[in-house]
Amino acid sequence: MSAPTSETPALALSGIEMHYGFVRALSDIDVHVMPGEVVGLLGDNGAGKSTLLKVMSGAHRPTHGTIAVHGTQHTFHAPSDAAAAGVQMVYQDLSLVEPQDIATNLNMGQETLRTGPLGWLGFVDRKAMRKSSEAELDRLGVRTAPMSRPVEMLSGGQRQVVAIARSAIRVNGERGGILLLDEPTAALGYEQTRNVEALIRRMADQGIAIVLVTHDLPLCYEVADRMVILNRGRKVADVPVAGTDRDHVVGWITGSRASMFPAATPA
Amino acid sequence: MAMTTSNSQTPGATAPEGAAPAPAAAAPEPAPVPTGHDVPRSVSVLVFLRDRGIFMLWGLLIVVFAFWCSPYFFTLDNALLIANAGALTAIFAAGVGIGIMTGVLDLSLPGTAAFASCVTGWMLTEGYATWLALLAGLACGVVVGVFNGLISLRGFNPIIVTIGSLSILTGLAAVVAGGYTFPGLVQLEFMGTHRYFRINGGETFPGIPAPVFIVAVVFVIGTIFLTRTREGLRLMAVGANGEAVRRAGIASNRYVVLGFVISGVLAALGGLVNTANVTEANPNASPGIIFTALTAVALAGVSLTGGRGSLPRVLVGALILATITNGLTIRGIQPYWATVCTGALLIGALLLERLIQASVEERLMAMNLSVHEKKV
Repeated sequence: MSAPTSETPALALSGIEMHYGFVRALSDIDVHVMPGEVVGLLGDNGAGKSTLLKVMSGAHRPTHGTIAVHGTQHTFHAPSDAAAAGVQMVYQDLSLVEPQDIATNLNMGQETLRTGPLGWLGFVDRKAMRKSSEAELDRLGVRTAPMSRPVEMLSGGQRQVVAIARSAIRVNGERGGILLLDEPTAALGYEQTRNVEALIRRMADQGIAIVLVTHDLPLCYEVADRMVILNRGRKVADVPVAGTDRDHVVGWITGSRASMFPAATPA
Repeated sequence: MAMTTSNSQTPGATAPEGAAPAPAAAAPEPAPVPTGHDVPRSVSVLVFLRDRGIFMLWGLLIVVFAFWCSPYFFTLDNALLIANAGALTAIFAAGVGIGIMTGVLDLSLPGTAAFASCVTGWMLTEGYATWLALLAGLACGVVVGVFNGLISLRGFNPIIVTIGSLSILTGLAAVVAGGYTFPGLVQLEFMGTHRYFRINGGETFPGIPAPVFIVAVVFVIGTIFLTRTREGLRLMAVGANGEAVRRAGIASNRYVVLGFVISGVLAALGGLVNTANVTEANPNASPGIIFTALTAVALAGVSLTGGRGSLPRVLVGALILATITNGLTIRGIQPYWATVCTGALLIGALLLERLIQASVEERLMAMNLSVHEKKV
């Protein structure tokens, strides 16, 4: 495991409960990610992965529980609150604007304006945006295609890289940010998956805390430092990837293996 | 497709120690990814055809008519005639086009045009200053746009909402006009039938009709706005994927309203230019103009799904319609054949676009597959 650089978790959720009417989607979940750490969030369909992700990204407010970013408590009313706190989500549908080029997509919402009177009129500086986009991608160690190429002309893997890079650029402030990845390799082929894996590791090495939601156990073993496994809305395991038997993990996912954390009060 | 990971970094060092050792042993470092896979030339050509084909089509039409309708067609006078005839369609098409690019189909256009021209006509008849009357007319467009936008944002289908406003506005226009029209609005001649830059009393140069100037201004400003400014880019982005824009932390709703407002203002402008041309404000909305405008927009290949398209192409779409009508008229062919031609052209353009698009996708897919075939 790459050693976390600081004692304070980048993102810490404690005692998260989420109720939809009478349905308890999440109960008493504690999860944290250290800066530079990749945590794989595993679970079967309906285990609560997506709900937990929505809580982390600010799309849903938990019924109970607290969220702390770098030790500071936050209440996320909307994804923009989470983004302001340094939490960025990469959606499974990627949320890219297909007809627009890579640079425009990467700079969406934080466009560089031209200097001088044209800037006051809202003219964007395409050249500067292309240059900075290229620099950012270089920093992440990825090359996709010319910055002026529309996203619709990119392959699935390139799109995934653009979507991840866009979020990574946004969290790459002075404080290491938090990146939430939802099934980043679900639509990719073998080679493209390897590229995205390498990108995830590089981002972690740059100090970004990463939560990786996936069905893909091999992916988890490839890139994650730690695994958090959910089953029926509860955390059943929280183990380092190194030295954990795959069969045990599968057991936790399917529910055939007893939880590491026996419930104090069964619901 | 080739995504070049920079392998200058040392993957061995960065790989998690806890990672399963098996893949690491099989490939001590991520295999060098094939590079240089770029979009093949044929795709670029097809995309060029898809995006610029309409200009070639127009050029072709001009060449055909130039020979077929010689010597009357290919003259400066006739060019100005075509430009003037296409001007009104072009303004409305700009409104419809910008609306569609931003993801809304505003069907209230004819109503907005009628209402705005009646408001202006009433004010002129009452003796208000011309600039004030025109401003009031354009302001009607803003109000209608905001109204349409705010209601559509409540989750109603914009098509139905704008059909509703079409009905409301047509009625209101008739109320303003008291069931009659406002005739004799000669104050608006400067933006109607007047020709500028006449040389030698029209002998040497007949002058450029006022609507042509208005169209030029609308399309130049519109094109620059949509392609060079932050707000324009966001507007287009909202048309393509509003949810993505919202997730990027932008208040995408504001841009939906902005799209409706631009559409409304252009509709009002179209109404005013029409009023100026005939020096009469008529409360009867002519729903036909929206279909002509839509034809121009569709010819321009503006996808109804939004986020795509360009104003210069819309302008050429409107000019193509005017060119066909003009050419056939010169040949003495009955005018209804012009609409037949236009319709056939439109459907032909659709088929061609589908063909090109399918071909582009096929080639891109093949390109992706080739990466898999390559042994890593």
